[in-house]
Amino acid sequence: MRTRTRLDLRGLVLPATILLAWWVVSANGLGNNYIFVSFSRIGAAIAQFVNDGTLLAGTTATLLRLLIGFALGAASGLAIGLLIGLSSAAGRVISPTFHALRQIAVFAWMPLLTAWLGIGGQTMIALIAIGAFYPTVVNVEAGCRGVPLPYLEVGRVMELSRWQTIRRIILPAAAPSILAGLELAVATAWLSTIGAEYFISAGDGLGIILAASRMRGSMDGVIVGILAIGLVGFALNRLLAFASRRAFKWRAPST
Amino acid sequence: MSLAALSHPEQAVAIEVRGVSRTFTTAGADVPALRDVSLTVAEGEFVSLIGPSGCGKSTLLRMLAGLDQPDRGTVSVEGDKVAAPSLSRGILFQDHRLLPWLTVEQNVDLGLHKSGLTTQQRQQRVSDLIALVGLAGFERAFPYQLSGGMSQRAAIARSLAPQPRVLLLDEPLGALDSLTRSKLQTELLRIWKHERITMLMVTHDVEEAVFLSDRVVVMEPRPGRIADIVDIPLPKPRHRGDPAFVDIKLRLLTSLEVETDPPANIVEH
Ligand SMILES: Nc1ncnc2c1ncn2[C@@H]1O[C@H](COP(=O)(O)OP(=O)(O)OP(=O)(O)O)[C@@H](O)[C@H]1O
Ligand SMILES: [Mg+2]
Repeated sequence: MRTRTRLDLRGLVLPATILLAWWVVSANGLGNNYIFVSFSRIGAAIAQFVNDGTLLAGTTATLLRLLIGFALGAASGLAIGLLIGLSSAAGRVISPTFHALRQIAVFAWMPLLTAWLGIGGQTMIALIAIGAFYPTVVNVEAGCRGVPLPYLEVGRVMELSRWQTIRRIILPAAAPSILAGLELAVATAWLSTIGAEYFISAGDGLGIILAASRMRGSMDGVIVGILAIGLVGFALNRLLAFASRRAFKWRAPST
Repeated sequence: MSLAALSHPEQAVAIEVRGVSRTFTTAGADVPALRDVSLTVAEGEFVSLIGPSGCGKSTLLRMLAGLDQPDRGTVSVEGDKVAAPSLSRGILFQDHRLLPWLTVEQNVDLGLHKSGLTTQQRQQRVSDLIALVGLAGFERAFPYQLSGGMSQRAAIARSLAPQPRVLLLDEPLGALDSLTRSKLQTELLRIWKHERITMLMVTHDVEEAVFLSDRVVVMEPRPGRIADIVDIPLPKPRHRGDPAFVDIKLRLLTSLEVETDPPANIVEH
């Protein structure tokens, strides 16, 4: 308990310093006050966004978009990752193409996707799904291929069938790697979500608040957008870390 | 029952190793793990393998288990050439190899899927074996929660579960304190007698070998080969203080010392 509290406090040192510096600069007019918006104006912007429902609608839409895109990307990533991780024949056919495609940055797909799906929600979802897809495939495949030989030998001496070996040895052994892949996929999907919203700007969303505020030249709105994105991202990250710490009863609790 | 009769040459052959050689290539160099090894073990016999580290003991056991194949020679068990692993040939690995994501009871149950037992009978068998190795109360524990010795005992239970006809044991009691060790030696002897399993056990403990075995095979390294085979015609259970027991033990120690001291200035141990 004690070390936790201390750690938490230390983690707050940096944000507090930045806030203080921001306050010093903005309150004393030391910097460009178009960029270094004062705390009171940020506060007013937050109040406005909260009151007119923009923030809630944006957060909800963004999270929903993330969820759908992630679900699509992670599910297909799991399927492909398992296929090439469990079958070396499938691996030989699919892996080269996959690893070539992986070199293409997520947003390089935008021109093609907008041509196919239009400038709207579907393209955003597709970008998020692509963001979630790659890390899932890579980690699922690595997990399935990296099962220590000694465990596979246990399966052989116990005369486990191929299916039993997958279910009782390969998948459990790969599970931590699969989970790490999904965790990474949430992170990349989150980045893709904000990027997609910012560039495509259709409907509600935190990235769309950001883009719209920039268009209006309202720096206080931009800052509120950034803060909201940072906070939601941080919450997601903590939530996943918390969940994955508890995911495996069979692992010794790490420090 | 005359136990000496078990090692009688007319007894059916359980394990037959004939002219087996196996060479590994490590970093470009050839390591002759076994060269021209021949050994016959009768059904129901208890044979120990002793010899310095690296003389191919585990390699031989792995071939008998069907996890590795000889470069030359043949390995057969109960008349059939060993081609693949089988539940009728249990192996207890040197590293216990419990599956970390299964509890002790799930690990022990792993080899019972072809046993034809009902779920209830399976549970009964698992809990009997867990009690046998002194792990009652740890059924639901995961391997990371066990000590080294407890893990080894769980692995013993797992290897006994499918009731193998031949059990290959690679230093099964290596990580145990002397008290648990002698308790499990007695237990092993009881299982061997009761289930009439053929046992081939690797050990570094000469006293353990003499206490349990009908014969002790002394091996020497580079290349791994059989240096000596010592019969132990004493009735079981044996008494460690018995002059005949001590005699054989000394003879084995001498044999190991002489045989394993390499002529060159290579130091083992
Ligand atoms: N898979 C492998 N690849 C390469 N070399 C191997 C392999 N398995 C065994 N060897 C080599 O074969 C030799 C015999 O190994 P083995 O494990 O059978 O020895 P051992 O008698 O069981 O030794 P210890 O008492 O230390 O367990 C060693 O020199 C080892 O390096
Ligand atoms: Mg060994």
